[in-house]
Amino acid sequence: MAPSVISTIISDNALKYEDTHVHSIYEQIAPHFSSTRYKACSQLTHCQPWPVIAAFLSNLPSGWVGLDSGTGNGKYLPLPYENPSRVWTIGLDRSSNLLKIARNAGGVYREVIRADVLDHPWRKGSFDYAISIATIHHLATYERRKQAVQRLLQAVSPSHGRILIYVWAIEQDELSKREIPTAYTSIDEEEQPGRDVFVPWVLSSNSRTEAQIFNRYYHMFAKGELTQLVSMAAKEMGLHVGEKTENAGSRRGIEIRMDGWERSNYYVELRCWTS
Amino acid sequence: MVRLITHNLLACHVKGCTSNNFPLQLQNVQIELREADFNPDFLKTFLPKLEWKALVDSAKELGDTSLPLEQPEMLDDEFLKNLHHVLLEIHIEEGNMICPNCKHSYPISNGIPNMLLAEHEIG
Repeated sequence: MAPSVISTIISDNALKYEDTHVHSIYEQIAPHFSSTRYKACSQLTHCQPWPVIAAFLSNLPSGWVGLDSGTGNGKYLPLPYENPSRVWTIGLDRSSNLLKIARNAGGVYREVIRADVLDHPWRKGSFDYAISIATIHHLATYERRKQAVQRLLQAVSPSHGRILIYVWAIEQDELSKREIPTAYTSIDEEEQPGRDVFVPWVLSSNSRTEAQIFNRYYHMFAKGELTQLVSMAAKEMGLHVGEKTENAGSRRGIEIRMDGWERSNYYVELRCWTS
Repeated sequence: MVRLITHNLLACHVKGCTSNNFPLQLQNVQIELREADFNPDFLKTFLPKLEWKALVDSAKELGDTSLPLEQPEMLDDEFLKNLHHVLLEIHIEEGNMICPNCKHSYPISNGIPNMLLAEHEIG
């Protein structure tokens, strides 16, 4: 029987907790993790990612440079497939074993750097776009998830930057075999409606070894939680949340262009503006 | 991999190191040259976002002096080809990137720069 998703409680030191339950696990499962991601791809003519991500990257103006924060095995670095040299995406991840795979994603040399998603090793506002796909849900506290959003907002141009964020949803689609425990585990339920869980990764066995199970930490987002997180992150930076206003005085803001649910994930797309 | 397209965006992020923290100086580097697809439209749009002096200086640290000190007004083919080569075809495989301000050293190993900081250095 497949191991199931179980509730977890975050220890006091979130950084150490992530080290044990996220970073060290990805270091160990990197090649297996990546092979399952590429296997899924090979069944299609092209490795078709989720439509919202593909559309976001295909609609960028030519000559734009972006950041993939939490790039993993770099599967979004080769996009858009139809015209790959129009834009240039740089991958960031904490796992050196995943980066060894990402640096040749799609059989081409890629730009990748090793850093934490809460780091900011860039000239401010130097990117035109940023994506964060299935990453922020690995951060163990509300404050850290908010900080991760703020790093994305700092990385892109305040006047034209575009950002796309995906995180795992409590609401899983019927294709998913996972059952999510119903009990809320957060101490403060009102502020954090999501659920803190372990999702098992099974490293398959061969004849001599037993299967190993790695429990990866996820904060599964509740409906509306991601958009709320992004709004709070922006407001804390003094950004207006809403459509561009042409009021007197210079303002900075973000407009939420789209948010929704796609195949067990919540996503939000936003654009920065100045007036 | 780290090429100058990425290096031109990187800055030191040690706690409190907020000025004169760019560009990171390249030291003890080993480079590999690899051809990349030439896309003049990409280069023309990306050009205004570059920190030009940093690019020219860093290219010199890698032994390439093909770029003019000032960005030219006319973007002819020869200039774009040189820019293409400097930005996208010189791969830094090994070496260090040193912050001009706090002297923090970021190692590059197997083409991957390590920008991780120790816990007490994180801002």
